[in-house]
This record gives sequence, C-alpha cells and structure tokens, in this order.
Amino acid sequence: MTGSFTLQSARKIAWREARASGGKFLFVILAVAIGVGALTGVRGFSTAFRRMLNTEARTLMAGDVSARLFVQPDANQEEALLGLAKRGAQLTRITETVTMAANPANPTPLLVSLKAVDPAEYPFYGVVELDPPQPLAKALCETCAALSQELALRLGLSPGGTIRLGGKDYRVSALVVKEPDRMTGSLNVGPRMMMSRAALESTGLISLGSRAAQRFLFKLPTTGLPVAEARDRVKKIFPEALVTDYRETHPLITRGLDRATGFLSLVSLVALIIGALGVAMAMNSHLQQRLDSIAVMKCLGARSGQIIRIYLMQTLALGVAGGVLGIAFGAAVQFAFPSLIERYFQLRPEFYFDWPSMLQGMLAGVLSTLLFTLPPLLGIREIKPNAIFRRDMKGTKPSWGERWKQARAAMFSGLVILVGLGGLAGWLTGSKLAEAARLGAWFSGGLLGALLILMAFAWLLLRGIRRLSPLTRGTLRHGLANLYRPGNQAELVLVSIGIGVMFTLTIYLVQHSLLKEIAESAPPGMPNVFLIDITEPLKEGVTTLVNQQPGVEKGAELIPSVAARITHINGQAIETLDLKGFGRRFLQTRSVTWNAQQPAGTKLLAGKWFEPGASGQLAITEDTSKVLRIQLGDVIDWTASGKVIRAQVKAIYRQESVRAGATQEFIFDPATLRDLPVIYFAGLRVNATQVARLQTKLYAKYPTISVVNIADVLDIIQEVVDQVAVVIRFISAFAILGGIIILAASVAGTRFRRIREVVILKTFGGTRWKIARIFSVEFLLLGATAGLLGAALATGFTGLIMKRFFEEAEYNWQWEALVVAIVGSALIANAAGWLASARILGQKPLAILRED
Amino acid sequence: MSNPPAGSPAIAVEGLTREIATGTHTVKILKGLDFTIPHGQFVAIMGASGSGKSTLLGLLAGLDSPTAGSIRLDGVDITRLAEDEMAKVRGEKIGFVFQSYQLIPTLTAEENVLLPHELQGRREDGSARARELLEQVGLADRADHYPVQLSGGEQQRVALARAFMTAPPILLADEPTGNLDSTNGQLVLNLLVEMNRARGATLVMVTHDAELARKADRTITLRDGQVVSDQ
Repeated sequence: MTGSFTLQSARKIAWREARASGGKFLFVILAVAIGVGALTGVRGFSTAFRRMLNTEARTLMAGDVSARLFVQPDANQEEALLGLAKRGAQLTRITETVTMAANPANPTPLLVSLKAVDPAEYPFYGVVELDPPQPLAKALCETCAALSQELALRLGLSPGGTIRLGGKDYRVSALVVKEPDRMTGSLNVGPRMMMSRAALESTGLISLGSRAAQRFLFKLPTTGLPVAEARDRVKKIFPEALVTDYRETHPLITRGLDRATGFLSLVSLVALIIGALGVAMAMNSHLQQRLDSIAVMKCLGARSGQIIRIYLMQTLALGVAGGVLGIAFGAAVQFAFPSLIERYFQLRPEFYFDWPSMLQGMLAGVLSTLLFTLPPLLGIREIKPNAIFRRDMKGTKPSWGERWKQARAAMFSGLVILVGLGGLAGWLTGSKLAEAARLGAWFSGGLLGALLILMAFAWLLLRGIRRLSPLTRGTLRHGLANLYRPGNQAELVLVSIGIGVMFTLTIYLVQHSLLKEIAESAPPGMPNVFLIDITEPLKEGVTTLVNQQPGVEKGAELIPSVAARITHINGQAIETLDLKGFGRRFLQTRSVTWNAQQPAGTKLLAGKWFEPGASGQLAITEDTSKVLRIQLGDVIDWTASGKVIRAQVKAIYRQESVRAGATQEFIFDPATLRDLPVIYFAGLRVNATQVARLQTKLYAKYPTISVVNIADVLDIIQEVVDQVAVVIRFISAFAILGGIIILAASVAGTRFRRIREVVILKTFGGTRWKIARIFSVEFLLLGATAGLLGAALATGFTGLIMKRFFEEAEYNWQWEALVVAIVGSALIANAAGWLASARILGQKPLAILRED
Repeated sequence: MSNPPAGSPAIAVEGLTREIATGTHTVKILKGLDFTIPHGQFVAIMGASGSGKSTLLGLLAGLDSPTAGSIRLDGVDITRLAEDEMAKVRGEKIGFVFQSYQLIPTLTAEENVLLPHELQGRREDGSARARELLEQVGLADRADHYPVQLSGGEQQRVALARAFMTAPPILLADEPTGNLDSTNGQLVLNLLVEMNRARGATLVMVTHDAELARKADRTITLRDGQVVSDQ
C-alpha cells in the first residue's frame, strides 16, 4: 500500500545515514561548533566586558542616573519616584550646599562645599577612601565630618580635631582620599567636606529657601529597566533638573564606552560571518559527498522533495548538535579564560552567560547552517539519477535555458543568504528596528560586494592558471592542475579564505586604529593637579617651587588667561544674536588665551595656525564656531580691560585629548593680547601620593593660589580608558584566533574529495612526499592569493568602517599587517591542508577503491 | 498514476534517439530504436562497448530523457514526465540492478533493501519482507553489515533483494555480473532469473556476455546505436 512519505520516514533515513559515518559527521558538527562557539564566546565576553566597563564608568557618578535640582520634590514627584522604586530602582539623596566652616581654635571662617549623603546607601558604585581607613557610616556619624585634604590644610585640622559649622562643633573623623563622584558635584566652589544627611540636618543650615542642590542618585536593576528609559522617566519627573547618566560623566569615558561598544558589536558580526563560513564549508563538503547516495535514491524512486527533506533534517540535526556543542564550548572558554586573561591583561571579567545569548548563538548557528545548506539542497533537484552511470555527462554543455534555471536557483538562494545574514547581523547588534535594518543592509551590501570581487578574481585566477599550467612541469603542474580540475572546490575555498582573511584583518586594523586614537586621547602624562590664579609676579616662583617638589612627573605648564568679552561679530552686536541656553555664556566675559603654536592634543579642522609675527588673528573651537555661527575669515571685536581688540578667525580646531583645565575656546596670536592684564593657570602631573605634600608646601608660601586635585578622578578615567584598550585588544585577539581556526577548518573540509585523488596517485606509484608536495603547491597558491585579496578588501573595509561607525577615528596604514596576513594565510592553508591530508596519505588505496 | 490500458506491452519503444552535445560536435548514441517487450518476458540487450546498451537502459528507467522518440511503460508515456513524476514511476514500476551495486555506503544491508519501500512512504513495516528477501539471496546473517563489510558478490545480492523489495513489474539490470567472478556471477544471475520468474516480472538485462544472454527469452543486439538483431 502506498502512502505519503512522512517526516518520520525522512527522519529514520536521515538518522541511519548519519549513524554510520560518525567520524565524518563529527567533523561537520565540530565545524559548526567552532563557528557557534566563536560567536557565543565573543558575545559572552563582549557582554561581560561591557558590564565591567560600565561598572567602572558608574563609579564616576556613584550611580546609574543622577538628577540635580534646587528645590525639594513635591508630592507628585515623590509618588513618581516610588513608581521607579517599584521597578527595582534604588534611590539615595545627596544634598550639596556651600557654607562657612572654621577651626574653633582659629575662628577665621572659610567658604566650603559641603556634601551630605546617606552613608548606608551612598555610593552605589565605587568606594569612598578615607584616611585613616574606616567604614563610611562610621566616619559620617551624626556628630562627625570628613574633610578634604585641602580643607584640613587650610583650617589647620587633622583627624580627631574639631570643625565648627553653623555654630556647632563636629569631630573630624577622617580625611577623604578618594571620592568617586566628585566631578559630578555641582558646587565645587571651595574646599570640600562630607557629612551624613542626619548630621547636616542637625547643623540647622538647611531651611526653607536655602540654596542647596538636591541630587537624586539611582541604581538600576540589572535587567528590566534600561538606563535610557530610566533617564527619560527621571527627566519627566523632574523637567527642571539636570539629568545625566553614567555614560556621560566624562568625555573620555563617553568616547571610550562608545568605541568599546561599537567595536564589540563589530566583532560580534565578524564572529557571525566567520562562524557561518565554517558552517557553510562543512555543510557544503558534507553534501558534496552525498551526491552518489542521492543519485542512487533517485534511481530507487525518491523524489527531489523527499531527498531534500531527508538532508534538511540531517543538516538541521547537525546544526543543532553543533550549536549545542558550540554553546558549551563558548561557555567553557568563558569559564576557563578569565584567570588567563587576568594574568596577561590585568583585568578579570565576571562569568557572564545568559539564556538570550545562548539562544542567539544557537539560532545563529542553526540559521546559518540552513542558509548555507540552501544552495546545495536546492542543487539536489539538479542531480540526475544517471550520474551514477555517466559522470562525464556532466561535462556536456547545458542549454541557455538550463543555465538560466540553475543560475536562478543559485541567485535566489544567494539572496536569501544575504538577507538572512543581514537580518542576523541587525538582530545581533540588538538596536532599534530601523537602526538594525540599516546596519543589516550595510552588512549584507558589504558582504555581497566582497563576495563578488572575490568570486570574479577566483574565476580569473583559475582561468589564468588553466592557461599557464601546461607550460609548467612535474609537481608544479600537478598542483596547478588540481586547482581547476572538475570537482575541486578551489573557487569556494578561495572565496571563503578570502572572506575569512578580510574580516580577521579588518578586526586587527580597526583595533589598531582605535587603540592609537585612545592612547592619544588620554596620554599617560595628562595633568592631574591644577593651580589656579597665578599672577604675573608669582609666575616664576610658583613654577620653580612646584617643579622642585618630589613626585612631580611633569612640570607645570602655564596657560595664560586674559579676561575679554565679545562685543561684535562681523560688525553685529552680540546682544542681537539669538543665543539660547548654554550659548548665552558668550555674552559674558570669557577667559581667552594665546599660543603661537597649535597646542598639542588639538586637531585643526579648517584654516591654518598663525604665521610667526602675526597679529589680529585667532583660532576658535568647532563648538564655538557652531554656536556663534562663525566661519573662517569672520571678524570678532572684543573688549578687554577697557581696550578694544579686533581679530579675524584664521583656524577652527577640535580639542582631541581631554585637558581638565579651562576649556580654551579662543586662542589668539601672542601679539594681539600683549600688555593686557594676565593671570595663569598651571597644569602638572604629580604622583597621587605626593599631592598633599605639594599642597602644604605651596600653601605655606603662596596661600592665594588654589589647588585643584583631580588625581583620584583621573585615575578612574585612566583605568576605564586603559580597560577599553585592553578589552579591544583581547576581543580582537580572540576573534583573530577564531578566524584562523576556521580558515584551517575550511581547507581541512576539502579532505574527503582528496581521498580519491590520493588513492589514484598512489596506485600509479606516487609517493606520499610527492603527493604532499603537489598539495602544497595548491594550498600555498590558494592561501596566498586569498590572503592578498582578503588584505586588499580589509584595507578598504577598515577605511569604510572607521569613517562610518567611528566617525572621528582615523585609519592608519599597516603594511606589516598586510604582509603577515598574506604570508600567514598561505602558511595556515598549507599547514591545515597537510594536517587534514595526513591520514588520507597514510591510507591503503584498496579500502577506498573498494568503497567505490 | 492512471491504470495501464488493457493488453498494452510492458515496454514500448518508438523512434528512440539520444544525442549528446559536447560543445564542438554532437554524438548520436541511439539512432531511432523501435521495439516492444510484453509482460513477463526476459530480454537480454547485447552489444559491444559503446553500442548504446547502458544509455538505452538508463532511458528505459527514466534516468535520462531521449532527444526524440517515446518510451511507454505499461502504456504510460514516460518521456515527457517531470523529474519528480518520473521518480514516482520508478518507485512503483521499476526495480534496478547496477553493475557496480550502488548500495548506500552509510546504510546496513537491511536498510539498503528497505530504502525503496520507505521512499514510497508505504505504511506497513517492511522489515520482515526485507529480511525475507535477504534470506532468499542467502544473506540473512549479514543484515546488519555495511556494504564495505561485504564482498562484491554479497553486495550485488543485497542489490538484488533491494530491487525486488517493492515487487516492481519491470526489472532492469545493467551488467549485473560484470564486476563479479564467474562463480559469484553465476549465483547472482541464477537468483535474478529465479526471483524474477517467481514474480512474473519483466526483466531487461544489459550484458555483453553471450553465455548469459542464452538464458533470456529474447536477445536484442545493438551496434552503433541501432538494433542489428532481435531474436
């Protein structure tokens, strides 16, 4: 009785077939597993690293989101805050105010910045370091206060002493060595001190109408409330407040995190491609070997649909098995690697492996398996049953109609693969739909372009070799002939190695350019101590004194500052310009400076720096030019100490590295500002442990000069930036290693088709050495050509990526890397080919001949 | 499939032509053959190497399409059938024995025998029948062996059992003893003829061995793609 061919029958046949050739199937599963493992491993590490970096960045704010306002919240706002708390957000309040404080023994009071926190909750991230060391809750008891070193110095106090505040005395419990969120405080007017909120209340300083800033600090739950959403909600609750989140505490942090996130996403995509490539090679060579079985089944009455079902089920099972193994592999790598990473990279990512990333890895593995098996599966329809009788019939020229039919199927499956991969790429980046679609389209387009170039080149190369090989002799001739012989997958191998090299090298080149940029944006010698208000007569003395102090790593660099105000721009009074918000600062007197040379750490965007001896010229920042709508050649009139100055804009620049001193928005030529009253700022680099000592010395001799010490904050920034660099380096090393393994696997994947060849060569007297040499010619040529093409494409791709995704970064040429890529891929292809063929070379021909 | 018209021959070939274009020129392999084979007849097709025997057999099995002419199996014209329709016809009407056995290397002997049955999606369990057939060819104890573990003669006997699994009305054999020594060849041939007689199927066997052909009811001889004798 005839019935329908059920899925169960297909499953049965698929399973029987798979069971018998365990070894071969294991190889396919392993190839899929390596692909999926690379993807899940990279993604797992990316997530772990991103969390780690974010945690570091959060310490600069001591929380995830901060809202600062100058009034107490009303009942509605309090209720809305409760709503946030219900979603898992924690909240602590910080009060910041300015008040007078004194040493009871020396009643001259000093204006201080006072910060009151709830030590039970504050800080959510990072720690407040105290001297002598003690828990914050103990240091901030109801009758205690912790002082900054500067305040202690100025008031002549030390731990154990007493400070008077609002007419009451408090015990100095400790000196604050490190206060993570210091830079985000609003009122950094005088030296700082810290109390508990309860203690502040007891001072009686805060009453209705007092000028105190309230800072609401939120810690978000690990899942369920993304930072962007939380930030929006907080902004809605407090429309008047200044709301920020941890991603924008410092321009360097923002940029570092952006770079890291962008790079990690990029690597994930590349891992996907490299992984999919491994899967594709494995599946393709697997199905190639099934051609005879398929032809036999067709002779026995199997319809194409049935066979497709059987092999679809088989490949699906292989994909799932490989996926599961790959996930396990990815997890194992993540589990085992942190200690290794810690040893070499001085950072330890926490183990991070969750269901969504496992599911993503699994789906990506199975989907790419399916996508890449689509062409060979569709090709099943084209397999003629009489292939068993007459293999040579394949050589007959198909009609144009048949060719179009075949091309149509190939084009359709190619399109499906591209769209599918683009979709996967968009999905993996996890951004919004429109952004994901855009990225997916970019990704597919780039891949298609690269594929077309590689395929065209592979075709040309093989044609060239075909003409060339008759001119050669012996081993070389055999090796060359191997490349274009029917059944050789040279084109496919060349394209896949080329793609592999292209992506792997792209990762390296992007990494190199990013690291260079990061290193330049945060040079290790960045000033961490600033001296403010140095007058002309004190200039020499202060410089000499500080430069002689121990622990000074980079001497004082003086920046002159002249107070000046803009009156007209191109003859138009500045008051008549429509300036909004922060732009209104230009209506007031600003600090301007001069510099004959373009300062280090700036990038000239337009125009030229002043010629020696120039006068009446100035350079402005990009931001200023935008706000004031000023272009090169525009004329600005100023007033400074009663004098009128006119200067023409000669250059527009951007501050590339972050200098924590005054932002230099306007830089004049030295002649224009001559003879105007000037005060100086100085920036210097001091070993963090020696800052207090320097402060004491300076205060003793020059009490009017303020010292701003940002060493502790800068340490955190430097740490984050360093970690970004390390993460980028590590992830790229990991991806490159994955790429190499998969390259090797794609060459190894051709081993089965070589069995027959080896047998025949051996039967006719070929020695193993001779055969290995023939293969070497083939592998070396394939590897080197693919390396060359991949390297050329990588160069183009990197330039594109740096422009598109890392807008500011510049691409740096890397000749050495290109050469290493070409030679390396030739050697890897050769080594992998040898390894994969080693067992075949040792086999006795009869066993294989008998299989036929 | 429609039922065959009553009294139609098992195989009817008319003006059968097969040409192959090789790019530079066209080779005529079969040049307008005409013959019919009634049900139950054992026909040997003979000819020298390159005479077109295997091409003819491949066309009869619908493994390839003719350039011109027609082939009717049980009154059904198979020459214009689509690939999948043809596969269905093969599954229902034709059993095949190849010179080089063509067992699927990854399936056991029993599973190979069972394959056509399963491909047809027959509901009943075919295992008992597969074992019975293996027993008939003397390989009951080798059911779990893979092709590589069997000798050539044994592999061909498995192939015989497979050919009979769905009890096809037409059996096509392409030099079934060509790869075997004389003892094994004799054994396989006897089995083929006996099993075929017992089932009353039509058997078309390609051979270049006149000795084998003598066992047939009728011998068609080809030379250069044409029938030179039919007796």
